[in-house]
Amino acid sequence: MVLLKLIKRFYAIIFLTLVVAISATLLGLTHSLTADQILRQEHARFMAYLERMFPDMDYFEHEEELYVIYNVDDEIEGYAFIGSAPGYSSTIRVMVGLEDKATVKQVMIIAHTETPGIGDRIEDEDFTGQFAGLPVDRIYLNSDDVDSITGATQSANAVIRAISEAVEEIFKEQSD
Amino acid sequence: MIKWIKEFSKGLVVSNPIFVLALGLCPALAVTNTLDNAIGMSGAVMFVLLCSNMLVAVIRPWVSGIVRIPTFIVIIATFVTIVSLVFQAYIPALYESLGIYLPLIVVNCMILGRAEAFASRNKLSLSIADALGMSLGFMAAIVLIAVIRETLGTGALTFFGITLFTLPVLDEQPVSLFLLPAGAFLAIGLLLAVFRKWGLIKND
Repeated sequence: MVLLKLIKRFYAIIFLTLVVAISATLLGLTHSLTADQILRQEHARFMAYLERMFPDMDYFEHEEELYVIYNVDDEIEGYAFIGSAPGYSSTIRVMVGLEDKATVKQVMIIAHTETPGIGDRIEDEDFTGQFAGLPVDRIYLNSDDVDSITGATQSANAVIRAISEAVEEIFKEQSD
Repeated sequence: MIKWIKEFSKGLVVSNPIFVLALGLCPALAVTNTLDNAIGMSGAVMFVLLCSNMLVAVIRPWVSGIVRIPTFIVIIATFVTIVSLVFQAYIPALYESLGIYLPLIVVNCMILGRAEAFASRNKLSLSIADALGMSLGFMAAIVLIAVIRETLGTGALTFFGITLFTLPVLDEQPVSLFLLPAGAFLAIGLLLAVFRKWGLIKND
């Protein structure tokens, strides 16, 4: 009798607790069902970018933040790293491929949601192409060798910052 | 059955969520820059609205009055999270381009509005009709806005990688204003004006 009265009194609390418990169970279930697939997707995307940048890649190894790319003959094909910086409306993630530890091979924008038609011009070959062959220490904001994009300064500068900050971090660590 | 059809069809035109009730305008403005985004968003909204309307209609007798709204929000948030995990796992490209607007379906007032105004007062079958009608109306509206914005803003219309058509002059000089938020307001405003003047929508 007392129990029934208690339940009645705290019905709202009990009800909401139940709802939240069921919801949490459902979400845990969904998460455990999708987690592997999400990881696989991310890995597949990452590999696809690496393979586009280094067609002769066979496997790669981590060297801190730097990926060392090897070909079938165990020779070093090049290096790659990922940098990110906040752009105009999203965090822009770039993958940078290096010929050797000092020269850029290619820059790819791997994730962003910048303004369509304006900020998303950072994906254009006109912009990303200019980094190819450039020494890594020539890439910084307002460098003479790097052009920004008119009307999309924030997005373009974020790409440049993403690269230069990652370069600084990786190569400072390595020279220490 | 007649009642079912009535509840189903009202969402399509007479109380279209976007053009008449003016609910769910956030996604209608934010993700209508491309046709793909609009279709992805309306698919997600349809799933969430259908599930939440059904569940709310079923648990209606036991819902405690004072925690009604929190209960609905928890239910909606659960389905939204499920949708966004599934999108992330199986259609990552769409997940990336919808960005923050996918989790923001939680606060889409259309879904809470239907749970509160309809599903919590009607039985299961009618709530399903309401959810289907409303989400199809929502889909029709945002797909229409997206087609206009993408066509004017890029000079072409693409559907998941397939180019449907390319306009001759706009292709060279697209009105990229239409891809920006201002273009979304313009497109919705002009469509609303047209519908009010010549369309089926009656102003009471």
